[in-house]
Formats: sequence, structure tokens, C-alpha cells
Amino acid sequence: MYSDLIQSLPDVLAWANLAALVIGVLAGIIVGAMPGLSATMAISVLVPFTFGLEPLVALGLMAGIYNGAMYGGAIPAVLLRIPGTPAAVATTFDGYPMAQRGEGGFALQVAVVSSAFGGVASAFALMLLAPPLSRVTLLFGPAEVFWVAVFGLCSIIFLLGGNVAKGLISACFGVFVSVVGSDPIFGNDRYTFDRLELLDGIHIVILLVGLYALPPVIDLLESPLKTENSAGDHLGTEPIWRTFPRMLRFWKTWIRSALIGIWIGILPGAGGSMAAFMSYNEARRASKTPETWGHGEPEGVAASETANNADTAAALIPALTLGIPGTAVAAIMLGGLLIHGLQPGPMLFRNNPDIVFGFMWQFLFGAILLVFLGGSLATNSFAKLLKLPRPLLGSVIIVLMLIGVYSIHGRMFDVYLMLGFGAIGYVMDKLKFPLPPVVLGLILGGFAEENLRLALRIGRGDWIVLFQNVTSLVLVALTVAVVVGPMIKKRIVKARKTEGKV
Amino acid sequence: MHNKSTHRFLRPETVTAVCIIVVAAGFLIPTTELAPLSALLPAAMLVGLILLAIAMMISDQRKASAGEEAKPVVKSPKRVFGAFCLIALYCIAVDLIGFYPSTAISLPLVAYIFGYRDLRGLAIATVIVLVAIYLIFSVSMSQEFPIGLLWAE
Repeated sequence: MYSDLIQSLPDVLAWANLAALVIGVLAGIIVGAMPGLSATMAISVLVPFTFGLEPLVALGLMAGIYNGAMYGGAIPAVLLRIPGTPAAVATTFDGYPMAQRGEGGFALQVAVVSSAFGGVASAFALMLLAPPLSRVTLLFGPAEVFWVAVFGLCSIIFLLGGNVAKGLISACFGVFVSVVGSDPIFGNDRYTFDRLELLDGIHIVILLVGLYALPPVIDLLESPLKTENSAGDHLGTEPIWRTFPRMLRFWKTWIRSALIGIWIGILPGAGGSMAAFMSYNEARRASKTPETWGHGEPEGVAASETANNADTAAALIPALTLGIPGTAVAAIMLGGLLIHGLQPGPMLFRNNPDIVFGFMWQFLFGAILLVFLGGSLATNSFAKLLKLPRPLLGSVIIVLMLIGVYSIHGRMFDVYLMLGFGAIGYVMDKLKFPLPPVVLGLILGGFAEENLRLALRIGRGDWIVLFQNVTSLVLVALTVAVVVGPMIKKRIVKARKTEGKV
Repeated sequence: MHNKSTHRFLRPETVTAVCIIVVAAGFLIPTTELAPLSALLPAAMLVGLILLAIAMMISDQRKASAGEEAKPVVKSPKRVFGAFCLIALYCIAVDLIGFYPSTAISLPLVAYIFGYRDLRGLAIATVIVLVAIYLIFSVSMSQEFPIGLLWAE
């Protein structure tokens, strides 16, 4: 089962792939270090530029950016008390007080070592758990694949928390976008309005760039961030090999937080910020000196950073095996796989083992690279990034977005379409509509429709074909559990609260 | 997206719900011309959108009746609107006068308007970005950019 994993290693060690990984990690740290920019945005802007690249080079860039950005978010969290990424919120609790007393350099080194530890643990989890799971999913027929798609959509809507109606609206919108273009079975046009550009449907990259890249750019321009009070000039950084022995006492926190991060990563809908918060709370609970937490306890930084990096590769376990991403970034990565002709899901491991296992190695190497690229010298340089003029940065990103979307088919129609999705994405973002269900709806919508109609053809139009075997019934039960579970939990909590009051 | 809506029907969520209902209903018209199996998924999604938008509107109106204030959607609507307009204008300019001229104008212009006033820095950044794009995309990747409808004609 794991022989493919070993066989894919030489390809990953090719110079081009390693260079892509290094560039990706550096770019990820830079992006993560800038508040307002995230791994999700960086990867969505990057995806169109990877068209002409070899799949492993493209995936290496993405894996590098994901790993790098998760650590990069700690830089402004420690120096400015502003998390560079949502997952770095818990890092501000102890990182910023450390920077205030001149230990910002040590806080960032704890962050980088912990991030690397979390990333390595996550990559191992992906390598160990994904192959056996993919074997099970290979047995799925059209009916089961349809239910997997429904389960994926339901889980991301209902487990994401927040307003369920808004989550469902997002998913319906995504699925509707997926049906634009030629009908997969009959070949007739749907919602193309006689535009030839829409015949092949709406390319996922157009939607990704519009939804995930445009709103942050507008935010950058809306409220330029003041960084004058940054603690970046007084980091007090020592070489990492000298400070490393001081970190060894965090080993229990590293292991506990890595396990929490991996578990949260696998759960669809949960993300790095939830992992970081849970891990921080658990580490604080287990600490002998909980009173020092929140006042500059380096173990707090270790707990949060280990967990938010441990969720990276783990989020790809359901994404690669079932086509259900655990996080928004994983959803974008699925889009990245699709543009290279790699359909995430059961067949991916059978048809493209060299690429999928190579991708796993890249996650592992990306996590290890973090220590070297985000070490003591680089930490000082990355801290200077906070002084980059943000309006200029916003303008450059706009140009890159246009180039990326235009280069897909070489036509301005796609750029205008991206603008439209950007406007919709901005409103959705501000009104707290979750964006991952839109992407997942677009990815799984067409997939679900094709398999549903295929199953119906096999069953000669009889809908009972969808419920005819045990696997389908298990998937239906899981879907019902995912939908009903949070409602029951909510009621129980409410009932307990009322009982408490009485 | 008005921030301080005085009327309960101008609350951002209600306005959004109405927009969703109108657009989804509009898309239902061409759906009726599709073959039944072809229309199944899109029709289900459109009807779902309408029902969910109604649910969202009712929930928002209940909040309004309970006296709950609608949260502001944007911090500075003028800047957001301005940013959208400038991005749209940039795209139209690329279409009309070509990629390089419009980028040379809009890159420093957007940065200047939104608060970066160092003219030397703007000039250097614009030159670096344009040269980098030319070398990376036009020279090494042979990527062709729009030359502009005005010049093409």
C-alpha cells in the first residue's frame, strides 16, 4: 500500500520541484506576514500561473505557500498583535507580550520550530491515513459517489457553524454555477445566453480568484494598516541553535497540539483557528503555571503554532480521498488539482499515484524547510515586511489577478466574470456567508449531477438505485447525522442552560 | 449596502435576500425550457435559493422587530465603492487601450489614491512591476496580453 509513496520520492527530489517548494515557503511566509492576505488568497492568485508548470512543481508551490503562510501569520501576531492569518489569533495572546519585553525574536523562533513540528506531524498523518482510506473509496460506484458529494457538501455547511441558511445559500450558489455550460449527458446548453465563452462552463479559477482574492484587496485599500508601533526593530534574536534547547521543554505541548491539529484538520468545516484555540486552551489547562499564560508564556505560542500547522496536510486527507476539503485552502487546492486534470476523490490514488504521493512528500519537506527559511536571520528580514506600503501591494495584486484570469483562455470576458464573482464574494464575506461551500458546490455540483444521472441510467430511472447497497445507506446515515447532529447538540446545550437557571 | 439603514426593509440582509429571490426567479425562466433531467439540479438549487432567502429575510425582519440594530457592512463605503470602480475601470482600460499602458497608469494611480503618496517610490515600483511582468510573462512565457480594441481597429 505504501510502496507508491516510496517510489514517488525521487521525483520530488528533482531540482525544479525542490526549488518550487523553497519559493512557495518563502512566498507563503511573506503573504502570511501581511495582515489581510492569507494562504487562501495567495494560492487562488497563484493557481492560474501554474497552468504551464509540471503538476508536481505547481503542487510544490501550493504546499510551500500553505506551510509558509501558517507560520508567517505569527509574525504580525507577535510584533503587532494583529494576526496575519485567522489561525494566528491565539498566537497574539502570549507572542505580543513577549515582543513587548524584548523577546519577539524568541517568540518567532518558538513559532517557527513549533510550526515545523506541527507540519511534519500533519504530513505523516496524511501519508499514513490517506492511502488506506483511498482503497476503501475505490470500491464506490456512481450512487456512492453521489452520496459522498452530498455528504461533503452537508458536512461543510453544518459543521462550519454559524448560520445554516447562509451556508446552504452559499452551497446552492456554488452548485448552480457548476451547471452553467453544456449538459454532461444531453449536451444541450444551460444558462449560456448564447455566449460561446460559457459553453465549457465557468472555470473554477475565475470563481476562486473572484471570491478569495478580490475581497482582501478591497479590504487592503479600504483601511490601510498603520504599522508604526511595530516591535520589529527590537527583536532580540539569537541564533536558532542556541535557543532550541530552551524549547525542548515544550515537547508534551508539541505532541498534544499536533494531535489536536490533525484531528481538527480531518474534520470538514473546522479550520486552523479552531485547532489553535483548542490546543491553546488544552495546553493552558495542563500547565503547572496557568497564571503566566497571556502574559508572555512561550509555551502558549508553541501550542497555537503547532496546532495551526498540524491542520494543513491533515485537511487534505478527506480532500484527496473523498474530494471533501477540510478547510478553505484545501478547497482551493482541489481547484489547483482540477486544473492539472487531477480529479480529487477515489480515482486519484489509482490514476496518479506519483503525483498524489509526491504532493504528500512536498508537505513534509515544506514543513522541514520552515526551520531553515524562517530561522533567525530570516525572521529579522520578514519582520521588515510589515513596513511595505499596503495600497501599493493592493495595486500589484489587482494586476496579478487580471494576468492570472486572462491567461486561462486569453479573453477579457473571464476577467469581467471574475469581477462579478468578486463583487458577490465581497458582499458574502461582509454578510458572513461562508465561502468554502461555494467552492465545494462548484467542485462537487457537476460531479454529483453526473454520478446521480449515471446511477439513474443504471437503475433505468428508478430512484431506489440510490439506496440499494449498504455503502450508500451508511453514507446517507452519515449525511443525516451531520445535518441533525449539530441541531440535537444545540438543543441539549440549550436545555442544560435552562435547567441550570431553574 | 447602506450602513445605517433607517428603514427595516433596507437592512443589508433583507436587501440581499430580495436580490437573491429576484435573480433566482429570473434564472427559473430559462430553466423551464430545459429537458426535465437537465433541469433537475439547477431548478432544485434555484428553488432552494428562493426558499432560503425567504427564511433569511424573515429571520432578519424578526430581528428588526425585536429592535436589533443591523451591523455595519463596511467601514468606509466610499473607499469600497471607489476601489471597485477603479478595478472595473482598470479592466475596461485594459480592454480598450491595452494591458501595458493601462497598467502603467492604474498601478500608481490606485496606490496614490488609496494613501501611498511617495511619488519616487511609486515610479520605481511601477517600472519594476512592468519590467518584471514583461520579462516573466511576455518574454519567457510568451503570454500575449490585450493590445487594446482602440488600436486593433
